[in-house]
Amino acid sequence: MLQTLIPLAVDALANAALIFFVAVGLTLVFSVLRILNVAHGSFYSIGAYVAASVGLWIVGAGLPDWLTFPALFLSAAVVAAILGPLLEKTLVSWTYGKSEAVQVLVTFALFLILEDLQRIVFGVQSVYQDTPMAMLGISEIGGIVYLNYQLLLIGFAAALLIALRIFITRSRTGRLLAAVVADREVSEALGIDTKRMFMIAFTLGVFLAALGGALATPTTGVSPGLGADTMVLAFAVAAIGGLGQVEGAAIASVIVAAAKVLAIYFAPSLDAVAPYLVMLAVLLVKPYGLFGSGSTRKI
Amino acid sequence: MLTVDKLNVEIEGTRVLRDLSLSLRSGVCTVLIGRNGAGKTTTLRSIMGLIPRISGTVVLEGREIQDLPANRRAGMGIGYAPEDRRLIPDFSIEENILLPTLALKLPAEERRERLNQVFDFLPQLKDLRARPGGGVSGGQGKMVALGRALTVADKVLFLDEPFQGLAPALALEYARTLSRLRKYRPDLALLITESTPALLREVADEELQIERGEILQTATA
Repeated sequence: MLQTLIPLAVDALANAALIFFVAVGLTLVFSVLRILNVAHGSFYSIGAYVAASVGLWIVGAGLPDWLTFPALFLSAAVVAAILGPLLEKTLVSWTYGKSEAVQVLVTFALFLILEDLQRIVFGVQSVYQDTPMAMLGISEIGGIVYLNYQLLLIGFAAALLIALRIFITRSRTGRLLAAVVADREVSEALGIDTKRMFMIAFTLGVFLAALGGALATPTTGVSPGLGADTMVLAFAVAAIGGLGQVEGAAIASVIVAAAKVLAIYFAPSLDAVAPYLVMLAVLLVKPYGLFGSGSTRKI
Repeated sequence: MLTVDKLNVEIEGTRVLRDLSLSLRSGVCTVLIGRNGAGKTTTLRSIMGLIPRISGTVVLEGREIQDLPANRRAGMGIGYAPEDRRLIPDFSIEENILLPTLALKLPAEERRERLNQVFDFLPQLKDLRARPGGGVSGGQGKMVALGRALTVADKVLFLDEPFQGLAPALALEYARTLSRLRKYRPDLALLITESTPALLREVADEELQIERGEILQTATA
């Protein structure tokens, strides 16, 4: 029994780690900008494409293999540094204060544009680059074989959760973001540059999604449709955890990933719907998600 | 100190301020009196830069600031205590008071200094410093909002309906605090809005009446 369950648990946690990167960015952007960004999943797939391409280039150019590790982070940072400010200052900021329908339509249009751009730039063939995973190899503990890279992913996600908590509660920018989340107008009247905070939050959201995508590349091939798949999972996580909840997103990521992994193992035909069945069940009981509430806004 | 000239503001197509002009001077306490909906809060929010204007100018010490975003105006020495306190509920009282100094990137020792000044002037806040902003009473919250505004109010201080919702005893205490403020910060230009002016007679130097977005008359109290 344990021989089956432990690898499933590790698989679920590694999946949860990747979903968490995307979902926590989505939830962060929502709490600060009050925009549900439908294009958020595209940053995951763009991060994945760029990281895989850079990794292939590093290996192809005969550079040392270990460079593929920093390349994952660097790729996400470059994607965020370019796309974050550019998109926030143009399309996204244009939707501030407009109705939710307009925001969803505009970000959906952005999603379509980004999807097609990816096809033009990266093609429709699957891109695969698993050097980081191959380098780390496997461990065998108690007769069970683990991919070391999966364990590393779980560690990264846990570190991110702690780092985000410290960032929000201790750093100057984190405190100012929390104030903007609680009361935008008063924040502005007290001297907080809310426009800058919006750009920082959006760019951080892009970075986290792109990092999730980059970290996913060693375990899976990147092909068209990845952005949409990721987006719906991230929405399910944000809904289950409660929009705006960092810890909620972490726990919901584990729930969604567990539902997915269990479905793949025990009822493969339910694989795609399992996360939404869980979401449906949660929202029936708690309409604002497990940790969310209708009134208070938190980060 | 601060001059507003022919300010016109619309909210959702309705004109709420009409050619509003007023002038605040250093060391002078001006009270803006009017009924609910007359445009008192809108006046403060417009001068603060929280609502876009149609036309008109706002000049602070010779510099036109009507096109600057609200956060820059705060940085130029305008403190603002909005109606309903609006403390950040998850932040401690101390953090609420310090928020403007953090936003304006004041150095650590300067922040401490300003916090101590607020505690000097409003000692009751010192005992509340660790409490969350959401966990203080209405009267205490008004004092916190005043202290928070004072940390950046180097030149001008706006208080929006400070007596609103205060029990008579607390309102009296708040009025006394304002009298003390006049002595404590003699150079400050004060603008206070109020619907019932009785409590402000003690501190008001000038009274302005506002009705349907227009200043009616200037009377010296």
